[in-house]
Amino acid sequence: MQHLDPDRLVLLALSEPPGPDESDHLTTCAACRHELADLRDVAGLGAETQDVRDLPAPPEHIWRAIAADIEQEQPARRSRPRWLIPVLAAAVAIVAGVAGTVLVNRAPVTARATLAPLATVPAGAGGSARVHSDGRMQVDVRNLPLTTGFHEVWLIDPDDLTRMVAIGSLTGNRDSVLAVPPGTDLRRYRLVDVSDEPHDGDATHSGRSLLRGTLTS
Amino acid sequence: MSSDDELAEQLRDGDEKALRTAYERHGGAVLHLAQRLLGNRADAEDVTQLTFVAAWKGRDGYDPGRGTMLSWLLGIARRKVVDRLRSAARDDRVAESVRAQLAPPDGRETPERVVDRLLIADELSRLPEEQRRTLELAFFDDLTHPQIAAVTGLPLGTVKSHIRRGMANLRRRWEVDGAASGSRSAGSTRAL
Ligand SMILES: [Zn+2]
Repeated sequence: MQHLDPDRLVLLALSEPPGPDESDHLTTCAACRHELADLRDVAGLGAETQDVRDLPAPPEHIWRAIAADIEQEQPARRSRPRWLIPVLAAAVAIVAGVAGTVLVNRAPVTARATLAPLATVPAGAGGSARVHSDGRMQVDVRNLPLTTGFHEVWLIDPDDLTRMVAIGSLTGNRDSVLAVPPGTDLRRYRLVDVSDEPHDGDATHSGRSLLRGTLTS
Repeated sequence: MSSDDELAEQLRDGDEKALRTAYERHGGAVLHLAQRLLGNRADAEDVTQLTFVAAWKGRDGYDPGRGTMLSWLLGIARRKVVDRLRSAARDDRVAESVRAQLAPPDGRETPERVVDRLLIADELSRLPEEQRRTLELAFFDDLTHPQIAAVTGLPLGTVKSHIRRGMANLRRRWEVDGAASGSRSAGSTRAL
């Protein structure tokens, strides 16, 4: 049996009427019928593409939501993750006025943490943190590795490590008194973190944590 | 413009810019599909967001050899739409099954029809310029081959060859990508 010419089938699919011989062949040949049906499907879809070929560009706000989700997914993927800069800026402003001004704090301690070295840090390093009822936080450290930059104290949400508040940098003394920004929920931001920060003008966490401990009341 | 192969490689390397490129290229199609299937812009935007986040998490699973990036993304979007309809059905305690919602009454289009149309539109846009314009005159303006030859000034033989090659390209893409996006795999939608 001589099948219909492929070119002819394409024409028939594009709404050219079949001749009598062609009709006869199509009624008896399932292969050609099937071929024609497929080509007609494609031609039908092709005609419908007029509605979708100039779709509007997808909106930016959806992209921002996607990008935010992805950032949350991978807090430690890059060496310099982008933390919460607005919160940080507010914290630094408060710290500037308060840090180091109080030598003895008589306000009662409401939460404390023992700071242990991370695996990459010499085992002799350590410290403690105490939060007082007036919002001041006393941080006491020992044997921290030397830094060419400075040591920064953070409060982190252990359930979402991208969420953190910068509390302030340690002074050269053993004791530093910093201020917890008002309204900080210490049940959530309960992980105290001391990091090594380079003087690079980047206000985000460097990703190099030295000590950590969890606040308990 | 980087190919799907290059884009896939950048994605696998964890390059967020590749996801951005995919969003710029195909976000409109994903949003269109979700909107057509859900009939509601807010849900459609949510599904679009979920689709690209899922694409990022599952980026190692995309194989350009098995279909275009668009077909992969539309496949993910379809599954997200189904999830959304299922949870809506649960939340509202709607008695009708998801299947009823996804298999509209006669005359309304099925999910696979929307997917196929987007895939064919994408493939059409990738064809060589002359091939594409010839097919568009046949599809949209319903012109015969001699009419197309008259309009374009191309020899009739060239018109025929463009149409034949163009149709073959579209059909191949439709078969490969339809399977990749799940639009024609083993009666998928009916079985949802
Ligand atoms: Zn035949």
